[in-house]
Amino acid sequence: MLLLTSIGILLLVAAIAPLLVRVFRSASGWVLALVPLSLFAGGIGTLQMLSGTEAILEQWTWVPSLGIALSFRLDGLSLLFSLLITGIGGMIVIYSGGYLRGTPKLGRFYAYLFLFMAAMLGLVLADNLIGLFVFWELTSISSYLLIGFYNEKDESRRSALQALLVTGAGGLALLAGIILIGTIAGSYEISYLLSNATDVRQSPLYPAALLLMLVGAFTKSAQVPFHFWLPGAMAAPAPVSAYLHSATMVKAGVYLLARLAPVMGCCGEWHYLVMLAGSVTMFVGAVMAVVQTDLKRLLAYSTVSALGTLVLLLGIGTELSVKAAMVFLLVHSLYKGALFMIAGTIEQKTGSRDVRQLGGLLKILPLTGAAALLAALSMTGFPPLLGFISKELMYEAQMQAPAAAPLILVLGVIANALTITVAIIVGIRPFLFARDRRPAELRIPAPAMWIGPLLMGLGGLLFGLFPGLISNILIEPAVQAVRAEQVDVDLKLWHGINPVFLLSMVTVALGLVFFFFRRKGRSLVAQLRLPGGVTPSGMYQSAVDALPGVSAAVTRVVQSGNLRGYLMIVILAFLVLVLRALLAVPEWPAMPSLAGVTFHEYGIVLLILAATVMVLVVRARIAAIAGLGVVGLGIALLFIMYSAPDLAITQILIETLTVVIFVLAVSRLPRLRKRSPVRTRMRDALIAVMAGLAVTLLSLLAVGVQLFPKISRYYADHSLSDAFGRNVVNVILVDFRALDTLGEVTVLAVAAIGVFALLKLRLNGREKV
Amino acid sequence: MPSIILRIAARTLTPTLFVAALILLFRGHNAPGGGFIGGLLAAAAVTLYAMANGPSSARQLIRVTPRTLMAIGLGIAFLSGVPSLFLELPYMSGQWVTLRLPFVDALPIGTALVFDIGIFIAVIGFVLTIFFALTEAEEEEVR
Amino acid sequence: MNLLLVAPLLIPLAAAVLLLLLRFSLRAQYIISFIAGLSSLGAAIMLVHDVASLGIHVTRIGNWPAPFGIVLVADMLSALMVILTSVIGFTVIVYSIIAVDKARQRFGYFPLLQILLMGVSGAFLTGDMFNLFVWFEVMLIASFVLLVMGGERAQLQGAIKYVTLNLFSSILFLIGIGILYGKLGTLNFADIAEKLSLTPDAHLINVSAVLFLVAFGIKSAIFPFFFWLPDSYHVPPVAVTALFSGLLTKVGIYALLRTFSMIFVYDAAFTQQLFLVLAGFTMVLGVIGAVAQGEMRRLLSFHIISQIGYALMGLALFSHAAFSGAIYFIIHVAIAKTALFFVTGYILAVRGQTELKHIGGFFKSAPVLATLFLLAAFSLAGLPPFSGFFAKFMLVKAGLDAGQYAIVVVALSVSVLTLFSMTKIWNEAFWKVDPATDGKGVIAFPALSKALYFLPLIILAALTLLMGIGAEWIFGLTGQAATELLNPELYIRAVLGGAL
Repeated sequence: MLLLTSIGILLLVAAIAPLLVRVFRSASGWVLALVPLSLFAGGIGTLQMLSGTEAILEQWTWVPSLGIALSFRLDGLSLLFSLLITGIGGMIVIYSGGYLRGTPKLGRFYAYLFLFMAAMLGLVLADNLIGLFVFWELTSISSYLLIGFYNEKDESRRSALQALLVTGAGGLALLAGIILIGTIAGSYEISYLLSNATDVRQSPLYPAALLLMLVGAFTKSAQVPFHFWLPGAMAAPAPVSAYLHSATMVKAGVYLLARLAPVMGCCGEWHYLVMLAGSVTMFVGAVMAVVQTDLKRLLAYSTVSALGTLVLLLGIGTELSVKAAMVFLLVHSLYKGALFMIAGTIEQKTGSRDVRQLGGLLKILPLTGAAALLAALSMTGFPPLLGFISKELMYEAQMQAPAAAPLILVLGVIANALTITVAIIVGIRPFLFARDRRPAELRIPAPAMWIGPLLMGLGGLLFGLFPGLISNILIEPAVQAVRAEQVDVDLKLWHGINPVFLLSMVTVALGLVFFFFRRKGRSLVAQLRLPGGVTPSGMYQSAVDALPGVSAAVTRVVQSGNLRGYLMIVILAFLVLVLRALLAVPEWPAMPSLAGVTFHEYGIVLLILAATVMVLVVRARIAAIAGLGVVGLGIALLFIMYSAPDLAITQILIETLTVVIFVLAVSRLPRLRKRSPVRTRMRDALIAVMAGLAVTLLSLLAVGVQLFPKISRYYADHSLSDAFGRNVVNVILVDFRALDTLGEVTVLAVAAIGVFALLKLRLNGREKV
Repeated sequence: MPSIILRIAARTLTPTLFVAALILLFRGHNAPGGGFIGGLLAAAAVTLYAMANGPSSARQLIRVTPRTLMAIGLGIAFLSGVPSLFLELPYMSGQWVTLRLPFVDALPIGTALVFDIGIFIAVIGFVLTIFFALTEAEEEEVR
Repeated sequence: MNLLLVAPLLIPLAAAVLLLLLRFSLRAQYIISFIAGLSSLGAAIMLVHDVASLGIHVTRIGNWPAPFGIVLVADMLSALMVILTSVIGFTVIVYSIIAVDKARQRFGYFPLLQILLMGVSGAFLTGDMFNLFVWFEVMLIASFVLLVMGGERAQLQGAIKYVTLNLFSSILFLIGIGILYGKLGTLNFADIAEKLSLTPDAHLINVSAVLFLVAFGIKSAIFPFFFWLPDSYHVPPVAVTALFSGLLTKVGIYALLRTFSMIFVYDAAFTQQLFLVLAGFTMVLGVIGAVAQGEMRRLLSFHIISQIGYALMGLALFSHAAFSGAIYFIIHVAIAKTALFFVTGYILAVRGQTELKHIGGFFKSAPVLATLFLLAAFSLAGLPPFSGFFAKFMLVKAGLDAGQYAIVVVALSVSVLTLFSMTKIWNEAFWKVDPATDGKGVIAFPALSKALYFLPLIILAALTLLMGIGAEWIFGLTGQAATELLNPELYIRAVLGGAL
C-alpha cells in the first residue's frame, strides 16, 4: 500500500498543483516541497528495514491476462533512487518557487514536475517490467512538457521534441526487448526474473533482448551516440535541468542496467557492449564539456561523461565496480543537481551563462557561492568530500575491467581530470577568481534559491567526513540488490598512500593543466571533425529536417490527386492478384459449354456489346446515354427470356427513369472537353479489357458445377404456403429478404435527399464549418 | 407553357396510371407487380401531370411534399416489421389475418403487404423529390 | 434477443423517419438525434453485456430459418463494433449540434447521420453476404451525400474520387457475391463457410476471394487502394470527417476480418503473407503522408490509413493475441482519432482555418483543449497509460511471438513517426505563438457552445484513458471476440443450429 500510495499522492498533487499555486502564491514552493520531503523522510524510515537482500513487495493487478501488474519492489537499489528522487525533488520544488516566481504558468510547471516525480518514483519502484515501461514513457512525456516549458521559444520546442523522439525511439526498442524477455521467461516480474536468470541468459533470444534493452537504456541515459539530446535539453528552465537532466531521469537508463544486471549481465555481450558505450561516453562527454562556454552546456556534457562512467562501472560488473557506481551515483546527483541550480541562479542574477563573462560572484552571491564551492570540490574529488571516496573506488574498479583495463584506466584518468577542469570553470572560477565583468543585480537571492544547493553541497561534505552514515544502510543494500548476493560495504575516507591515491594526484595535476590550457583546447576541439563531418546530432537534425520534404515527395507520387491514376493502380493491383490466384489453381475445371445458347440469345448479347462500344466512342453525351439505355433494355430482354417478368419490368422502368433524369441533368453539365491522346486511351482500354477478362474468367471458373441446391428453391417451395404469395420475386422482396429491400429503399431516400440538397443548398460564401 | 394536348392527355392519363399503379401494388404478391414497380408508375403519373400543368400544381395535387412522402413510406415499411417484436418473434416476422368477405375468396392480409405499401409510398416520394428538385432548379435558372 | 439485435438498426431508422418528418424544427432535430444517440448507446451496452454472458446472439429476420432468410448475428466482434458505432455516433451527434452550420442542419444533416449509423451497424451485425452489400450501399450513399452537401468545389472534387473508387469496390463485391452464390447457392456467412468446408474444390472458389479482398481493401483504405481517403476526408465539415474516420474504414477492416477468418481460409498461407506486406506498406505510406502535411485535417486523414495498417497486421498474424490486439486497436483508434478531429473542429471554428503554419497559441488560450489534445495524441502515438499503448503492445507481442520481426520493426518505427507528426500539431497549433496574434481574429464563444464542443471531446478522451486503465476488462471482451474468430464453428453452429 505504501509504495502505490506514495506515487498516488504525487499524481494527486500534480493534478491539483495549479490550484495550490493559486492558493499559496509565492509560498507554494515551500508548501509543495513538503510532499516529496515527507516521502523522503518516510524513505529514511525504511532504511533500517532493508538489511540484507530482502525487499518490500506490493502487488496490484492491472492486466493479469497479459502479465501486466502494478507490482512494486522496494529494495536497496530502488530505495537509493527513491531517496534521490524525493530528496532532491524537495530541493528542486523549493528552488523552482524562487526561480520561477511570478511566472503565470507556475501552476502548470508544478503539475508537470510532480507528474514527472510520480513517474520517476514509479519507474524505480516497479517490479513489473511493463509497469516500469509505463512509468518510463511517462517520464519522457513529462520531460517533453518540462523542456518545452518556455514554449514560445523556437529553441525550447525543438529541443523538447528532440529529447522526446530520441528517448521515445529508444523506449520502443526497450518495449520490444521487454516483450522478448517476457516471452522467454514467461513473466514480466523482476522478482521472478531475478530467481530465474539462467533461463533468460540461455535463450536464443537473449542477444536480441539484451541489445534492444540496451538501446533503451542508452538513449535514456544519453550514451554516445544518442547523447546529443541532453545538451540540447538545456533549453529547459534550470530546475528542470537540475532535476531531470542530472539527478534523476537520465539515470533511469543506469537504473535499468543496474536492475537487470543480475538477470542479463553475465556474458561477454553484456560486458563488452556496456563497457564500450560507457567508456566512450565518459571520454567524449568530458572532452566536449571542457570546450563549452555556456554554463549549462558545460554541465550537460559533464553529465554525459558522468553517465558514461556509471554505465562503464556497471559494465565492468564486479562487486567493487558496482560499489563504485552506487557511490558515484549519489555523489554526482548531489553535486550536479546543486551546480545546475547554481547555474540557474547565476543566469538569473547576471543575465549571462557565458563562463568567459562571469567572475567575482562570491561577493554578491555568498551563500550560493559557498554551495558552489562545496559542490565543485566534491566534483573534483577533493578530500574530505564524498567525491574523493568515489574517485578512489572508481579507479580501483576500472583496474578490474575484464578487458582493456589499462586503456579504460587511462581514459578514466583523463575524463576525471577534465571533470576537475569543468568543476573549476563552473563552480570555482566564477566565484573566486576573475573580476566581475558584468553589472550584477545586487539583491541577494531569496532563500528558496540557495537553500537546496547548500544542503546538497553540505551533504557531500558530511558523507565524506562520515562515510559510515551511508555505507552500511544505504550503499550496501543497493550494491546487494545489483549483485544479488550478500556484500559488505565499508567506505573509508583515507586508504593510505597507494597506487590509487597516486592516480588521484596525477588526475588533479592534469586537471589543473587542462584548466590553464582550456582556451587552446577549445580551438583545438573546434577543428576536430569526424570523417565527413558526421555527428550524431547533425544526423538527427538532417533526418528531421529532411523528413517533411522526403515525405512530401513520396506522397506527391503516391497521392497524385489524379482519379484516373488511382483507378489504374487499383485495377492493376486487382489484376495482379487475380493472375496470382489463377496461377495457383491446381487443376482447371471444364468450362461451361456454349451448346445450349440459342440464336436470339447471341443476338441480344451482341446488341448489348454493340451498345457498350457505342457508349465508349460517341462524343455527344445524349448519344452515350441512349447507348446505356440500350444496354439496360438488352438486359431486360434477357430477364424476360429467363422468365423473370418482375425484374424485366423493374429494369425497363428504371432505365426509362434514368434516361429521363440524365437528360434533365445533362443540360446542366459543361461540354465535354477534348479527349486524352490516343495512346492514353489505348492503354486505358487495354487495362479495362483485361479487368473484364479477369472477372469473366473468375466467373467461369466458379460457375462450372452447381454443388448445392440454391436457397431460391426454398423460396419457391415456401412462398405460397408460408408467405401467402404466388409471386416469388415479390415475396422475396417484401418477406424473405425484406431487410434488403428496407435498406435499398433507404438508399433511395438518401439519394433523393442528396440530390435535393445539392440543387438547393448553397453555402454562398458563408462560413465553412 | 406545355401544350394543351398534353394537358388534356394528362387529365385522363394521370388517374388511369395511378389506378394501374395501385393495381400493380396490390396484386403484386401473387402476380408480377409490387410496391416498387407500382410506386415507379404512380410517380410517373404525377410526373406526367407536372409536365402538363407545371410543378407547382403537381405539388398541390399531392398536397404533402415528396420528402414527407418518402419519410412516411419509409416509416410504414419500418413499422410493418415491428408488431412481431411484441409477440417475441424476430423483427419482420409476417403476421397474417385472413379476410373472409362475402362473394370473394378468402383474402390473406398481412404485414408484408403493409411493407409493400410503405415501399410504394417511399418510391413515389423518391422520384418526385428528385424530379421536383431538378425541374424547379431549372425554373429558377430560367428566371 | 430479437429486439436487442435489431435495435441498432431500428433506433436510427425510426429517428431518421421522425427527423425527416420534423425537418423544419431544428430544436426537434437536436432532441430526437440526442435521444436516438443515447438509446442506441444503451442498446449497444446491453448487447455487449448479453453477448459476453450468453454467447453469440442470432435473430432470424422474418422468422425464416437460416440460411434462407437474413440473419443478424452478434458475436463479440460485432457487438464491440456496434458499441463503438454508438459511442462515436453519440459524440458526433452532440458535437454536430454546435459544430455543423444551420444550413446543412436544415437540409437533412441529422437524418443522414442516423442513416449512416444504421448502415454501419447493419454491416457489423448482418450474417448475410448480400445484406452486407446492402448496408455498404446505405453507408456509401449516406456518406457521399454528407460529403457533397454544401456543393463547394473542393467538396465535389473530393467526392468524385470517393464515390468512383467506392463504386468500383461495390461492383467487385457484387460480382464476388454472384460467383459465390452461383457455386454454393447460398448467401449466409455460416452456410457459405460450412459448404466450403464440404467442397473438394474449395480452392477454386477461393479464387473469388480476390474480389472480396480488393472490394473490402478499398473500403478499409489499405495499400494500394487508399487513394480516395486523403483526397476526400478534409472537405466536409469536421464533424462528418470525425464520424467517417471513426467508422467507415473500420467497416472495411471488419469485413476483411470476418470473411478472411471464416470463409476465405483455404489459401491462408498466401493471404496472410500478402496481408503482412500490405499492412507494412499501409502503415508506412500513411504515416509518411501524414508527416508531409501541413494542415490538420489532411494530416489526421493520412493517419487513418496508417492505423488501418496496424489492424491489418493483426489480421495477417492470425493468432489469438493478434486478433484480440487488432480489435482493441480498432476501438482505440476510432476513439482517439475522432477526438483529434473534434479538436480540429474547435480550432477551425475559432481561427477559421487549420493550416498549421498560420495558427498557434492554443496552449495558452485553451488549456483544457490542449490537455485533451495531448491525451488523444499521445494515445494515438501509443504512449502509456493510454489505450494506444495496449493496442500497440498486443500487436507487437503477437508479431514477436509469430517471429515476424520485420513487421514489428515497421510498426514500431511508424509509431515514432506518428509521435513526430502528433508533436508537429502540438508544436505548431498549441505551443507556438499565434502568428496572427494581436488579440483579434479569435471568436469568443458563448459558454453553452463551448460546453457542447467539449462534452464529446471529454467523453472520448476519458474513454481512451479508461481503456488503458481498464485494459484487462476490454481485453476480456476482445479476447472472447478473438476466440470466436479463431473458432468459426461457434458462429456457424449459432446460426445454423446443430451440435458442435
